[in-house]
Parts: sequence; C-alpha cells; structure tokens
Amino acid sequence: MFLPTERKTRYQVLMYLLLVGGLVIVAVPFLFMVSTSVKPQQYTFEYPPRLVPRSVTLNNYVQALSKDLFFLYFLNSLTVAVVTTACTVLASSLLAYAFGRLEFPGKEPLFYALLVGMMIPPVTLIIPQFLVAKSLKLLNSHAGLVVVYVTMNLSMQTFLLRGFFESIPGELEDAVRIDGGGRWKVFRHVILPLSRPGLATVAIFTFLYSWDEFPWAHVAIKETTRRTLPIAIALFQNQHLTQWGQVFAASIVGLVPVVTVFVLFQRHFIQGIARSGLKG
Amino acid sequence: MKHGKWTVALLGGLLILSLFLTACGVEETPEPTEPPAAAEEPTKAPMEAPAEEPVAVTYWHTMSDAEVEAMEEVIAMFEAEHPNVHVEMTRYAYDDFKSALLTSLAGGEGPDTARLDIIWVPELAEMEALSALDSAMSDFDEIATKTFPGPLATNHWQGHYYGLPQDTNTQVLLWNRELFDEAGIEAPPATLDEFKQIACALSKGEEQYGYAMGGTYFWAPAPVFYAMGGKVVDEGITTAEGFVNGPESVAAFQMLVDMYNEGCLSPNLLGGGVGTSDGLATGLYAMIIDGPWMVDIYKADFPEFEVNFAPIPTGPDGTSSSVVGGQNVVVFDSSQHKEEATEWVRFLLSEEAQLKMAERGVIPTLSTIIGDPGLPEYFGVFLEQLKTAQARVPHPKWGDMDGAINNAYQRVLRDEQTVQEALDQAAEEINALLAQ
Amino acid sequence: MAALTREHSRQPGQPSPLARCLTLLQRTYRARTAYLFLLPGLVLFGIFVIYPMLYSLRISFYDWNVIKPARSEWVGMDNYKTLLISPVLRRAVLNTLAYTVTTVPGQMILALVVAILLDQEIRGKTLFRVAYYLPVVTSWVIATLVFEYLFNSQAGLINYMLRDVLRLVHEPVRWLADPILAMVPIHLLGIWKGVGWSAVILLAALKEIPADLQEAAAVDGAGPWHRLRDITLPLLRPTLVFLLVVLVIGALNVYIPVLLMTNGGQPLDLTHSALTLMYKETFDRLNFGGGAATSYLLTSFVFVVSIVQIRLLRQRMEY
Repeated sequence: MFLPTERKTRYQVLMYLLLVGGLVIVAVPFLFMVSTSVKPQQYTFEYPPRLVPRSVTLNNYVQALSKDLFFLYFLNSLTVAVVTTACTVLASSLLAYAFGRLEFPGKEPLFYALLVGMMIPPVTLIIPQFLVAKSLKLLNSHAGLVVVYVTMNLSMQTFLLRGFFESIPGELEDAVRIDGGGRWKVFRHVILPLSRPGLATVAIFTFLYSWDEFPWAHVAIKETTRRTLPIAIALFQNQHLTQWGQVFAASIVGLVPVVTVFVLFQRHFIQGIARSGLKG
Repeated sequence: MKHGKWTVALLGGLLILSLFLTACGVEETPEPTEPPAAAEEPTKAPMEAPAEEPVAVTYWHTMSDAEVEAMEEVIAMFEAEHPNVHVEMTRYAYDDFKSALLTSLAGGEGPDTARLDIIWVPELAEMEALSALDSAMSDFDEIATKTFPGPLATNHWQGHYYGLPQDTNTQVLLWNRELFDEAGIEAPPATLDEFKQIACALSKGEEQYGYAMGGTYFWAPAPVFYAMGGKVVDEGITTAEGFVNGPESVAAFQMLVDMYNEGCLSPNLLGGGVGTSDGLATGLYAMIIDGPWMVDIYKADFPEFEVNFAPIPTGPDGTSSSVVGGQNVVVFDSSQHKEEATEWVRFLLSEEAQLKMAERGVIPTLSTIIGDPGLPEYFGVFLEQLKTAQARVPHPKWGDMDGAINNAYQRVLRDEQTVQEALDQAAEEINALLAQ
Repeated sequence: MAALTREHSRQPGQPSPLARCLTLLQRTYRARTAYLFLLPGLVLFGIFVIYPMLYSLRISFYDWNVIKPARSEWVGMDNYKTLLISPVLRRAVLNTLAYTVTTVPGQMILALVVAILLDQEIRGKTLFRVAYYLPVVTSWVIATLVFEYLFNSQAGLINYMLRDVLRLVHEPVRWLADPILAMVPIHLLGIWKGVGWSAVILLAALKEIPADLQEAAAVDGAGPWHRLRDITLPLLRPTLVFLLVVLVIGALNVYIPVLLMTNGGQPLDLTHSALTLMYKETFDRLNFGGGAATSYLLTSFVFVVSIVQIRLLRQRMEY
C-alpha cells in the first residue's frame, strides 16, 4: 500500500484483529460440531457445555461411515454435483452473455421472466416437476437430478454473471470484431477468460447447491443405490431419537468435497488485467 | 412504454398457452400406464416355472436401521412362501416422508403398499388414495378379530377399514431409579395423586425436575389426559362440546398446569430446552412418559442407564389409561398389483412376521401372541397398558384438532387463559372442523 | 382540411404498423445469434420452471385433489381471499419482513467488511477465506441444530455466558419458547450463514476492479476511505444491487431455519414465515390449492419488490 510505514502497521494490526475476531464468530458453531462428532452421545447435552470434549471417540465416524452404501451415496452426490456444475457454468454463461452484451427483441421481458424463476419457492414446483420428469422418463436417474438442478440455478447464476460480463469494456470486444471474429469468438476469447472470478463463483455455488439439495433428490430417486448424500444423512435421524454424533460425523465427511471445490476455485479470484491502459 | 407492452403480451400468451397445456396434462396423470416399479428394477429369478416373472410389490416405510434388518428377514420368509412375488422396500426420511409420498402419488408413481403413521390413514382414505381392505380381502374379518381393537380402530373411516395395524405402541412411565433412591422413594407412583406428589418431591429448582414432557402437542399430555378420564370427542365423533372441555379433561390439564407453576414440570415443553430422553438419562428429569423405542435408544446412546418402565398411574376412578400410537399398513388404490399386495399385507399380519419384528422392539398388533416366550420381557408393561390405551380421534382433520388442543395448552401455560376458557375455545375450534 | 388525411391517427414521423412489424422481423433476424446463445438455457427453463409455475398457478384456483386431480373443484379466488384475511398469514408475513429487514443489511455490511479485508495481501489468505466460507457450506440442518444447541434454555452456551459468566440475567432466557425472542437465534443464524456467501461474491467483484485505478488514486493523494467511497463502492454497484435483490428474495423465502427452530410455527403459530405456512398448508393439511395460492401471493410480492429494486438502483457503468 502507499502509506507511511507507521500507519501501515496500524492498519495491518487492525485488519488482523478484525479478521481473527470474525473468525472466532464464524468458527465457533463449526467447532462445536466437530467437538460433538467426537464425543459420546451422553455428553452432547452436558451443562456447562464444553468445547473441548471430556473424552474423545472416533466411534461416531466409524458408525457413520460403515453404514452400508455411505460411500456409494457420497459418490453419487459427487457425480451429480460435478455434472451439474459443468452444465450450469456453460448454460448460464451463454445466457448471461446474451443478456449482458447482445441486443435482441424481447430482451428485457425475457430477463424478468428468468428472474421470476429465482423468486418462486422451489417446493411449489416440486409436484409439476415430478410430472414433467416422469413424462420425460427422467425419474429415478441422476440425469433427472442434474437437469432440475441446472434449471433451478440458472436464474441466479445468469443474473450474477450478467453483472460481471457487463463490466467488461466494449473496446476489447470491438478489437476482436474488427479482426473479423463473430460473437462466439468474442465469447470464447474475450468474455470467458476475463470473467474467471465470476465463473469460479458460479462453480462454487452450483456445486454446493447440488451437493446439499434434499427435497427433489428425496422424491425423484427411489432406488437405494442411486441416492445422494443428504438423504443418507437424513436417515441417521429416526422418528424418535437422532444420534447427533453420527449426524455431525457424517456431515463433516460430507463437507470435504465442498470445501475442496472452494479452495480449488477461489484461486481464480485474482486481479483482473489492468484495463485503464486501453484508454490512452 | 414499449417494454411494458411486450412483457404483458409475452406473459399473457404464456399464461393462455399453459392453461391449455396443464389442462391436457391433468387428465392423463391419474392413470399410470404401467406398473411403476416393475419397469425399472431387475426382478429376481423365479424359483420354478420359468415362464412366470415375479411380480414386484413396492413397500415404503420409515423404519430405523434395526427394524429394517428384521424386515429384510421377514421379506425373505415371505418370498420363500410366495416365489411369484418380490417385495421391494424403500426407506424414506421420517420428516419428509409425507411430502415425498404425496408427490409420488400425485405423479402416479406411488407405491403398492406402505407403512403409515396411524394418523394419516383417515385423511388419505378421505382423499380416496387407499383401497378399502375389508372389501379387498375376503378374510379381512378373520384377521381383524385377531388384532387389538384400539389399533384396529385407527383404520376405520366412514364404514370401511382402509388398512390393518402393522405395529402398535403406547406410552408408559419411565423413571430414574437413581434419583428415586436418593430421595428414598421406593416405587414409582401408582396413582396420579402420588405422581404429582413424587414429581414435586423430586424437583430441585433448575437442577432437577420431577417430570418432563416433550412438548405441548397432544401426544405428550395424552396418557395423563386419558388416565384422568378425559375425552376429546364423543363416541360417534360428532361433537367436542362437553368432552374436550368436560370436567375430567379440565382436571387433567389443570393438574399439569399446577405442576408446571409449582416447578415440578420442566419448562422444556414450551420449546428450546433439553429433550426428555437426554434429560432422564442424565439425571435432569426424574420421570418422563414415553414409548418402547426407548430401550433401543438408551442401549445405543446411554448404555449405562438402567431403563425402568411402569404403568401410567391410575386416575380418580382407579383405572389406568394411555394413548395408542403405531403404524398401519395400507394398500394404495393406484396399485396395479392389489392381489399380491394384499398377500404381503396378510403376511405382515401373520404370527411369524410379527414375532420376527418383535425381536427388534416392535410391538405386535396380534393379541393372539401375547405371552409368547419369543417376546422381549419389557413388552409386558406395554401390552398390559395397551388393554386400556385409547386411540386419538380417527378423523381426516385430526391434525388441526391436535393443533387446537396444543394451542390451548400453550395459552394456559403462558397464563393467557384459564384451563376452562382454553378448552372451551378448543371445543369450538374442533366442532368447526367436524362440521366441514 | 389538409389535416384530415386518411392517416390522421398517426403522428408525423411514426412508421406504419406494417413497417414496425417488418423492422421487428429484421431485428429478430439480425439478432439470431443471440437466440442461439439463449436457446439451451431457456428451453430447460421453460420445461422445468415455467411450465411447473403455470401448473401451480392453475392449482391455486381450485380446491385441488392431489390424488384424483380430475375431481378438483374450481373455487376461483376463494383460496386467495381466505389467505388475505387470515391472521396467521399476516403474522407470518410480519415475521418474514422482520427477518428480511434484519438479515439483509446485516449480511451485506458484514460481507463487505470481510471481502475488503480478504482482498488484501495477508498471510494465511486461503485459510481465512475457507474459514469464512464454512458457514455457507454447513448444511442448514446442522447449522440450525448448532444454534439450537447454543441457545438451549437449559443447557446452552449463550445462557451459560449470560448467567454464569457475565451475570447479566438471573433467570435462564427461554429463547425458543418465546415468539419474539425466538427471532434472535433465527435472525442471527440467517446472518451467520449468509455472510460468507455474499463475501465470496464481493471478493470476486473486487478482484475485477483494475488495481491501477486504485494506484492512480493513491498517487493523487486519496486516502483509503476516499478510495473506498469514490472508487470501490461505485464500481461495486452492480454487484451490490445484485446482492440486495438476491438476498431480499432469499430472506422473503426463508424456510428451513424457521421450520426447524420453531417446529413449524410454534408456539401458537406465531413464528411462521410465509413459506413454512405454505408448506404446512400443502403437505400437512393437504390443502394444495391454498398452498399454491400462498406461494403465488409470496412470489408476486417478491417480484414487485425485486423489480422496484432493480429499476431504481441499476445504472450502467461507463468508465
């Protein structure tokens, strides 16, 4: 930064303080979850509550992971999430480019129609979606999950990307057009590379959505071997008692791919190119 | 404004188009064109006549892991006796089972059979989703007489029986022997007066409560309510006036409210406190009222805790009572394999199947197997209690009635109304529901 | 007399309807590439969102029989009328609005602070980013449980701190038993869970701001506050508008935390959100028509609010 050294140090200290303070707040609930996952059930509700467990046991993890099909559910979720993410990034960037940089009749009404998709509670749509999926023979299949997941994310991700795409200066696009390139070339060579942070964001959030989704997965898939992870975790809860240690243990295992995706994609949050140089 | 006109035109056109489309779509869906399950799952190879493929009967449920293990054995036994039928069971998450079931039914992809909470049977029957078993099964009466009358009654709606009781349960008293010993109390209360006394004797401020309830929904106070002679509606289910707000009902709730105000009943029932199961095992609560599943639960989570059951204390007229819970097995009207489905239902109600499930703590509904040495010991107190336990109102609108009583209880606990006023209001609300 | 021509209804200079139609066709043809870009997304959207939406809309005008739809009875606006006079719905709407008014600004402001901090070159950047993202990936069910656990009136951490450590209260606070106090854990949960999400988006947007703009301003003598106010915030505007719209939509549609923490509107149906009420109508009381009507009332409200926000706040950025 461009401050005299003393002020710089003060800012640094303040920054770290804030960050660490916030860290405590966001981390405490999570730490309790981790802590409970290694406690035997009888200490779940001890008073006063202890963050550091009295006795540590990996039993919850053993129990949760050895339930048959846990890893199969994990794999199913992974497959569906990866495919959904790829398709959503593609579909929404295509839409966002059209809405963000092209002109065509019906642009604004179509965009609002797209936005409405974000506003309607998903649970309202579940029965007709079930009917449609059934007639398209997509029930009980991972394809059926992917298709619906992509669609449900389209509105938000397109809206997000449109914002990113719009802020790309027109001169870059003009440069390609002057060289004789069509819209597709502009899309591939100008828009996409410059929007890495935006695309990474879409990937992160779509993966998360798909990984965690429950209502549609619960009703659309009957075949036990094709089920996804959130269902498996819900099945740890019985009608009468929930074994929280196991639920938390399973959930923590389930967090690994999502956090991994985040870590991988957040590397794309890098500074964009210096654009002001073009203005000269 | 140009954009505005386009928007309106576009939406209007879509609206009209879709009304057409949905109109077409609707007529088609109620008729499933092929057996949903058989089309997708690989069927087991038949044991004899190679020309016949086993018919798949789907069975949906929300059983726990332990029950599922036992059920798998039951299915094996069934399929050995009926090689032409293959039972496919699918487990659903308890909290979301109803919505998944309804969505599937709406989409024509419902199951052939399912194990449902007894409360759902009248409402699904009302919607014509279920097949009337007393007509579909020629030996229905024979089977029905072998079951407990209380659980059987939960299948009854408007002159027909829409299911058979697959398993039943009731609630009894659980008490923490350690806390009792500490206070020098030797035995659990036998009458409700003793119950109140002991609960208050065992309460120490916030560290310990003599009695705790899981919430204010009707299932929680129901055992005490029925034991005190309370009733929700009359026999014919025509009115609640004079019943839910009758003297016995008022006395029952009054007792509970007094216990709460005196600190003998834990405030967790209003929400956000420590649950009854955890509280009993950790010594926060001395007594709770709960069901047979506690045995397995405590075995898994609090293995050192000694589980002690006792009958619900008797009311003023000397009789004990409790509330009936459990599950019924039903056959759906949309099933394409009703014959095989009823075969499966018949088997579930057989002694061998019921005994097999009993091994895992599932209380049977056949009164004929009481006393069988194969039954776990602790069943004794539950089977005894079942003789006097009463069913909640088998009516499609029971959910709302439960809500009316729940809210009444809340209002009293929060000092907004007296017990009589609250129950009077509940009676009105319930009568309005009965009138619909 | 000269004014009374055959086309007296048209203003001078305006093309005839036929000409307008032709221009439209021309523009459509010229924009054909755009439609190709739109095609995949819009087809999916039409099949899996638009059609179901219209189906639901249709249901809202009936007393819908979900098992035998053909037997459903037309009731016109009755479902809507019943809802509009219902005190339970009014309370639910109030709760939902309260939730929105608290959690949206809460999330946005905190997220902005976090994003700016995470934008700096600091050590352990990735670790901090992951940590702030953790609440977002924790499932709602787990997050709700943790908060329920923390706010447990008998055994929770918050009461322990308030009573035994800080000695601020004498009686245990019955958070979830009180219809108003229950809002505290619910709103805090909403903010806690959402900050990371908004922070990620803002961070990505911050990264798109060319560094040399900031440098140039600094060289000109602008301090960090000025740079924030005059450069960063204006350039973040489209993203901030996006966040506002999306967060408001999400808040008005709050469902899981309310459902789980209040067991569906307990006590006394006073803690419902619009959506938990809709869910109860549909799947508990089996009133599918009424449930659909509730959704549509909610969605219409959300739509109006969103459009107003977008039109008022949106500006094209030229630089």
